[in-house]
Amino acid sequence: MTSYLLVQAVNGLVIGIIYALIASGLTVIFSILKIVNFAHGEIYMLGGYFGYFVITLLAIPPLPAVLVAMALAFAVSVLLERSLLSPLFDPRTERKGDYGILVTFGISILLRNLAIIVFGPFPLRPPSFWPGTLVVGELILSWDRVFAAATGIVILIALLMFLARSAWGQALNAVSQSRESAAIVGINDRLAYTLAFALGGALAGGAGALVGPIYALSPSMGLVPDTQAFAIVVLGGMGSVGGAIIAALLLGVSESMFVALFPDPTRGLSYAQAFSLVVLMAVLLIRPTGLYGRAHAAME
Amino acid sequence: MRAVIPVWIGVGVAALAYPFLADPYWLTVGILAIFYAIVTASWTLLVGYAGQFSFGHVAFVALGAYASALLVKDGGWPIPLAALAAVAVCLVVGAGIGGICLRMRGPYLAIFTLAFSEVLRIVITTENEVTGGSGGLQAATLFHGRSDIPYYLVALGLLVFSLAAMGLMVRSRWGLFFRAIRENEQAAAASGVRVVRFRVLVFAIASSFAGLAGAFYAHYIGMLTPDIGSVDQMGLVVAMAVIGGSESLPAAVLGAIAVEVLVEALRAYGQWRLVLFGALLLLTMRFARNGLLTLGWEQLRRALPRRVAVR
Amino acid sequence: MTALIEAAGLTRRFGGIVAVNALDLVIEPGELVGLIGPNGSGKTTTINMLTGHLAPSAGHVHLRGHRADGMAADRFATRGVGRTFQITQLFGRMTVMENMLVPGLARPGSTRADATPAAWRHLEFLNLAGLAGLPARSLSGGQQKLLELGRALMLEPAILFLDEPFAGVNPVLRDEIIVMVQALHAGGRTFVVVDHDLEAIQRLVGRLVVMSRGTKIADGTVAEVREDPAVVHAYTGDA
Repeated sequence: MTSYLLVQAVNGLVIGIIYALIASGLTVIFSILKIVNFAHGEIYMLGGYFGYFVITLLAIPPLPAVLVAMALAFAVSVLLERSLLSPLFDPRTERKGDYGILVTFGISILLRNLAIIVFGPFPLRPPSFWPGTLVVGELILSWDRVFAAATGIVILIALLMFLARSAWGQALNAVSQSRESAAIVGINDRLAYTLAFALGGALAGGAGALVGPIYALSPSMGLVPDTQAFAIVVLGGMGSVGGAIIAALLLGVSESMFVALFPDPTRGLSYAQAFSLVVLMAVLLIRPTGLYGRAHAAME
Repeated sequence: MRAVIPVWIGVGVAALAYPFLADPYWLTVGILAIFYAIVTASWTLLVGYAGQFSFGHVAFVALGAYASALLVKDGGWPIPLAALAAVAVCLVVGAGIGGICLRMRGPYLAIFTLAFSEVLRIVITTENEVTGGSGGLQAATLFHGRSDIPYYLVALGLLVFSLAAMGLMVRSRWGLFFRAIRENEQAAAASGVRVVRFRVLVFAIASSFAGLAGAFYAHYIGMLTPDIGSVDQMGLVVAMAVIGGSESLPAAVLGAIAVEVLVEALRAYGQWRLVLFGALLLLTMRFARNGLLTLGWEQLRRALPRRVAVR
Repeated sequence: MTALIEAAGLTRRFGGIVAVNALDLVIEPGELVGLIGPNGSGKTTTINMLTGHLAPSAGHVHLRGHRADGMAADRFATRGVGRTFQITQLFGRMTVMENMLVPGLARPGSTRADATPAAWRHLEFLNLAGLAGLPARSLSGGQQKLLELGRALMLEPAILFLDEPFAGVNPVLRDEIIVMVQALHAGGRTFVVVDHDLEAIQRLVGRLVVMSRGTKIADGTVAEVREDPAVVHAYTGDA
């Protein structure tokens, strides 16, 4: 029994790393554009399909394929931001918060249904990155999960370093604190908006590409991670990437444990989806600013 | 308003004559359009007037539908009583949601209500012994004849009732208070508006109308699946409200009818329809934020001679 | 005579910061009090606690002798406590008249039949009557401040808290506001005015309360307070 729980816990950590990628993307978008991106799950979903097609059509090895998928997700996000989100940057736009909610909600519907048409409504199982499993004592883990976890960790570290050390990373930080001040010191805030949205999309897309072989792809695979990402972002404090990562790992493990320990196995799996939603609702009720949050100012 | 009365009479006559002139397929479309009109109008009351951004509205449609259907099926209740009870359930749960969300604003409220809606859908799907799950639940139908005309008339009656009730509310001081809360909650409180009471109230009212629509739907279609409370359904309602005009009850109704008619007219295009509505929603938000129909109405008003200008 | 509003040991903490520290304040009916102090002295926080927009961390608020701390802001409003805000808070997309009718109709027992003429009366007094049909956000900054005052007046308040009514206001309008407040005060309303414009405050008020770093450091007539060394120190000493 303990080995079962151990395996579940480790699986939970792996999925937590995936959640962390999705959630940190959402956090970056939120802290700079000040909107909640309801289409985030769909970029994640697109990343999954991009990864799959890149591997099957171009026969590229897994790691470059993930990077290409991230680049494609980045490009799609730039397109979306420039065409649909530019009013967020315009001072004449009223109630930007409402606009962000409605437009990203609309984008999610568009992308999801477009995906159903293009990719078909049935789940798609990409081939494994690396077939086989890793066995360490009582721990059994598929290589795909190991790869996903390792790549995810590398991406997260790269993200944190980018935000803390690079010029653009610090520029993003500045814009997230005060767009006007950032513009005054010469930062191109318009570009910052696009970069933030695209970066967030790339992270979600990368998560999708990594998850394909583990959980299969389908056009609506973005719905549940979307709400999970919200749960994580709120838990970790809207605007704190580090907090999002920690919260994501916590959620991944506890969700796994919930399924493992739920008395009725068939119901347990079904209710697993509801687990993060209930956590989300509970956190919003208790502390809308999350556990680590900066006291976040009301949207405009 | 006076110059517009002939228009209203014309609309009324057309609405009453419609079921007798339309073929059965388009009659069904008309009934569904009315169903969506009630749901969209009540969403507009909640979001457009009172500013309470809820993405969980269709959860109450599902709640109303399943509650009413189950009370008839398992409890042996007569349909009108079951429907009334279902509306009451939605009123209470809606008030509850409004009450626990008091500290939430904007996107937080949207996320919370979305999560609530999804949890409800998951519960309905999982507890399939009671609800039939994804396989569906059969619900008793209101009428047993072959024609759908009685259903249409009931639906029309419910729509008129709903619009009259919501319209009265909006014109009364409650309407002022809702809008004040939307514009500036802090100023509203400083002006003596009982914010807590009115936020709970608007949630309760909007949810009741959604539940009413849901109960009607259940006893009209006769078959329920958890999808009536899905995110895509919510998306459809949002598209209807935004395309019509999210801050006006009549515009919301017209938006619902227009979109539903389009959905049916483009049935041949299958999945592309939802893509179209997503795109239409986005284009409207981007370029005609107050809604296409509101935009059209404005153009019409400007084109008409001064004397006829409304208000 | 029962005090109109009384604060006893009023305290408010934000995280580790004590914004208001054990404040005792009594306002009698009919007074015209100025509340001044350097930035960050806790003036707005105090007003927020005395009008129900913030709950105290400790201490009591009494309204006409009854405990009122923890009461919601709208209940303070309907019990005759009106206020304006540092940054004007209006119902931007609603018309000027609608802005006035919201508090007018929020008062228990009011009807449109009495609220509407009352709104016109106040709008005339504030020289805003001609703008009644315009959206509030289309008004100039000064007009918006006056509208906010009008909105507070619709509550028929016994006491009015004005938070920085002279901020960013041109001298002509400033003088108009002073005259209006004096007229309203002569008509029986109590005022507590917070502002940094010391010249305007001194022309207006009889009694001056000075706060610094969350504590009341002086409370007396304008002449007394002006000479008080603690007050001078607070304004010129360490920032």
